[in-house]
Amino acid sequence: MIRNGLLAKLFSLVFAAFMLAPLVVVVGVAFTPEGFLEFPPSGISLRWFQAILDNPDFIDAAIVSLQLGAASATIATAICIPAGLAIGGGRFAGRDALQALFLSPLTVPTVVLGIAFLRFLSMMGLNGTFGGLVFCHVVIIVPFVLRLVLASVTGLDPSIARAATSLGADGWTVFRRITLPAIIPGVVGGWVLAFITSFDELTVTVFIVNPATTTLPVKLFSHITQTTDPLVASVSTVAILFTVALMLIVDRIYGLDRLLIGEGTR
Amino acid sequence: MAILELRDLTKRFGETVAVDRFTLSVEKGEFVSLLGPSGCGKTTTLQMIAGFETPTGGSIALNGRDLSKVPARARGLGIVFQTYALFPHMTVEENVGFGLEMRKVPADERKRRIAATLDLVHLSHLATRYPRQMSGGQRQRVALARALVIEPELLLLDEPLSNLDAKLREEMQLELRRIQQEAGVTTLLVTHDQSEAMALSDRIAVMQGGRLIQEATPFEAYDRPTNGFVSSFLGKSNAIDAHLEAGGAGTTQLRCGDIRLDAPASSHGPGAVLVSLRPERIEFCGAGEGIVSGTVVERVFLGDQWLFKVKTGLGELLVVRRNSGRREPEVGETVHLSWQAEHLRLLEAGSAA
Repeated sequence: MIRNGLLAKLFSLVFAAFMLAPLVVVVGVAFTPEGFLEFPPSGISLRWFQAILDNPDFIDAAIVSLQLGAASATIATAICIPAGLAIGGGRFAGRDALQALFLSPLTVPTVVLGIAFLRFLSMMGLNGTFGGLVFCHVVIIVPFVLRLVLASVTGLDPSIARAATSLGADGWTVFRRITLPAIIPGVVGGWVLAFITSFDELTVTVFIVNPATTTLPVKLFSHITQTTDPLVASVSTVAILFTVALMLIVDRIYGLDRLLIGEGTR
Repeated sequence: MAILELRDLTKRFGETVAVDRFTLSVEKGEFVSLLGPSGCGKTTTLQMIAGFETPTGGSIALNGRDLSKVPARARGLGIVFQTYALFPHMTVEENVGFGLEMRKVPADERKRRIAATLDLVHLSHLATRYPRQMSGGQRQRVALARALVIEPELLLLDEPLSNLDAKLREEMQLELRRIQQEAGVTTLLVTHDQSEAMALSDRIAVMQGGRLIQEATPFEAYDRPTNGFVSSFLGKSNAIDAHLEAGGAGTTQLRCGDIRLDAPASSHGPGAVLVSLRPERIEFCGAGEGIVSGTVVERVFLGDQWLFKVKTGLGELLVVRRNSGRREPEVGETVHLSWQAEHLRLLEAGSAA
């Protein structure tokens, strides 16, 4: 164990407080009985949580966001498993170029991506459709999934696939029984990270939604530009709770440290 | 009858020749080692036998069946990898049973065979553990059990002991030999560790630069190396450059600078030779009886033996003496060395590594 000095502990504490303070404020505001953003709240009331149910727009948007997150995370993962195995497992011509291509969305400013997607989807006649949204989100979240899958693949002993082959397994069996289970922490971690990134994405999405496919972040954003009632805080609080619950479940099953630090599987 | 027949096996990677017309046959039940330094082509040879590399030329036959068109998964070989390559998400039982499962062996027979093999490697009590919960030596046994349970015609061992610490390695050498003999399985070991090859094998094939240099029993390879490389790679050896000349009355003599030595009987013709002399064949003796004398420049205590480096007219010679509790010469002391001419090995000049 590395023992931290007092200063290091203090730094960590201040840093954690800095990260969490906005969340505490949002959650605090959500419980206010008043009709405006107030912190600390003057009382405890579930009034603004009740208000969510009276605003089906928000619920619809949340459903769109959940579906969008699940669909795009799943598609991105399905792309990144073979890509990660190829890039992490072997040397071939164009390997670096392929990796750079997959990671390139990280380097393009999201506003630029948003404008580009808007043009592209209009040309394809997909503007405002759910399919168009999924397509754009897949492009944005692929780098996240690929990074985690790659971390798992590079930690993998290439001999284990050979061992399985020597014992009589064909290519598909090796993948299904040996390789995939061995990299599953990276795959699940990548999916979760991708889901959260998609669920949270605003900058690109705001360019390409229409009223029927509005996502939760876009809905919150447009709500804030019109009114400033604590409804946004209560919706955010529910979203925070949902994310925390998702993280807890994943941590229980696979261990978050392992997933996000990418320690591999051995 | 030969189980494995390698004939003129060759592998080129672009310009470099990794394995060069390598020919070897392994008899049923035999334990043969491919021994050589890293980069000598031994691992490439193993990969070709296993089916993970395609030969550039030559042939591999297993039990008379040509393997060139047989994919790796259908060769039915048991392979123990250097890293053990255990499946991390499976228990010991599941690891060992994987090959049987692939062969569609019924569950009850599978269970019986897993139990029998785990018993053979003394791991029955750890059947439900995961690899990460086990020590290096135990993982090694699992890897061995996984390869043996399919009753392979040939067991391939790729540097199986190199990841273990020295003491455990010695224990596992004996274990490996016992298991191999109990299972009666024909085995090909690839290693760079000469003591491992000598301790385990019936026969050693020494490789250098992709070629087979010598193929012999461990004793023969050590005691009668045919080549300077083999003599220096197997154990310690003194290599002396000398000239073989005719002496008086039909005898031959070795000339080494100003020093003349009695030569052993050999088929070598006159000319430059490399003389190899094992350090344990040299003795200390009285002033009058020595062949050469010199000064001790280094002395190392190894517990059961002493290792001396003695500076002589023949160059620096290594001398090994059993620790018999007597006082031994110290650094700086003058010593006289003698040996019997029959212990000298005359090898081709310039064949040292």
